[in-house]
Amino acid sequence: MTSNDDLAALLARVALRDRAAFEQVYRATCAHLLGIAFRVLKQRERAEEVLQESFMNVWHGAAGYRPAVATPMTWLINIVRNKAIDALRSGKTEQGSTFVLDEEALQVAADEQQQPPQLLDDSLTRLKIDSCMAGLGAQQRQALALAYYSGMVHTEIADALNAPLGTAKAWVRRGLDKLKGCLEAAGVQSA
Amino acid sequence: MNYLQPERLDRLAREYALGTLVGPARKRFERVLQQSPAATLAVGVWQERLAALAHGVAPLQPRAAVWAAVEQRLFAAAPSAPAQSAGQMGWLARMFSARSLGGALAGVLLCALVLRIQPGLIGLEPQTETLPQSYVGLLTDTSGKASVLASSRRQGRVLTIKLLQPIVVPAGRVAQLWALPKDGSAAFPVGVLPASGSGTIVLSDTSEKLFFNVARLAVSLEPAAAQPGATPSAEFVLSGHCVKLW
Repeated sequence: MTSNDDLAALLARVALRDRAAFEQVYRATCAHLLGIAFRVLKQRERAEEVLQESFMNVWHGAAGYRPAVATPMTWLINIVRNKAIDALRSGKTEQGSTFVLDEEALQVAADEQQQPPQLLDDSLTRLKIDSCMAGLGAQQRQALALAYYSGMVHTEIADALNAPLGTAKAWVRRGLDKLKGCLEAAGVQSA
Repeated sequence: MNYLQPERLDRLAREYALGTLVGPARKRFERVLQQSPAATLAVGVWQERLAALAHGVAPLQPRAAVWAAVEQRLFAAAPSAPAQSAGQMGWLARMFSARSLGGALAGVLLCALVLRIQPGLIGLEPQTETLPQSYVGLLTDTSGKASVLASSRRQGRVLTIKLLQPIVVPAGRVAQLWALPKDGSAAFPVGVLPASGSGTIVLSDTSEKLFFNVARLAVSLEPAAAQPGATPSAEFVLSGHCVKLW
């Protein structure tokens, strides 16, 4: 039904203000995109706000989508993930008082399967690059997972893993280098 | 500083894409991005690689209100269907307006369907062959013909409705769906059904809370959508068992 090619065609129609195409893009991608925002924010309400904001951008910014630069899914993921990270960082100070998790959100948040290191493992397995990535140490993997799934910056990763800042940076860098090498070796189309 | 020196560009693009480039450095790089196609491309390559890591993230179905809000914010100036009734239940009537039926409501179903049919689209493979834990109701008419399929995930807040045959709803009436508790206590209203096709009903709580003790679902033709606490004022035209799918 909606392959990446179809999504690209739909986005082209969205750029021409086609509301039906816009809705099709939403229907085809909303659950996956909300999952990504939720991993970063760990709060359904805020993740849904981010999804809503993101689709405002999709409507207004579809004309700026460049198939040569990114697949449609990557483009959408970037919009959502960047907004989620912005929301996370801007909301840090008020988080303590406004942190409300609904029942379902709590279940997902507590789900072992959805913790960053496990998410990384699952993703790598699906991409069939898990054995290649096995060359990374546990801390390097964890650093990469915290940066990508939780939107942590180097200082936060250093705190979380109880390591000096320089070490945390090196772990992330090493994780990214390895990811690049493994994806290229496997010839994986990422999105 | 020459941002376009290849190694430096790759390092900045990588950190920018990951989100670990922060503060003034991020702002500076964003200015470079606006002017340099090479920088945009370098970021794009890293974003593509990182998007691969999103494959393992479990999808989370947004509530119907999210799409409704997107539409409201973008298109509110040009409503395509008038609200069908005023008052407190006006929002419900709007949800069941013609366009929404093809849209907001059917969408939850479509979203799930698209992902089920095309899991490769976003790299999601089905984790299990079994159906998710859900509440399901199959309503038949008085002649025993299957008429309405209602289903909702156990912890979900949306009831998906599929009409297997159109309901004949006289003018001035609505097809009101009721839940009948096992213990024989009074039926409570769930929502209003579309007359044909499919749609969704946004529930007042999770299915688990609402339907845990419900044995049957039924439909009566009411003069207006039932308010919370109301009981059926007309005979049931459709009814059927409500079962747990686990």
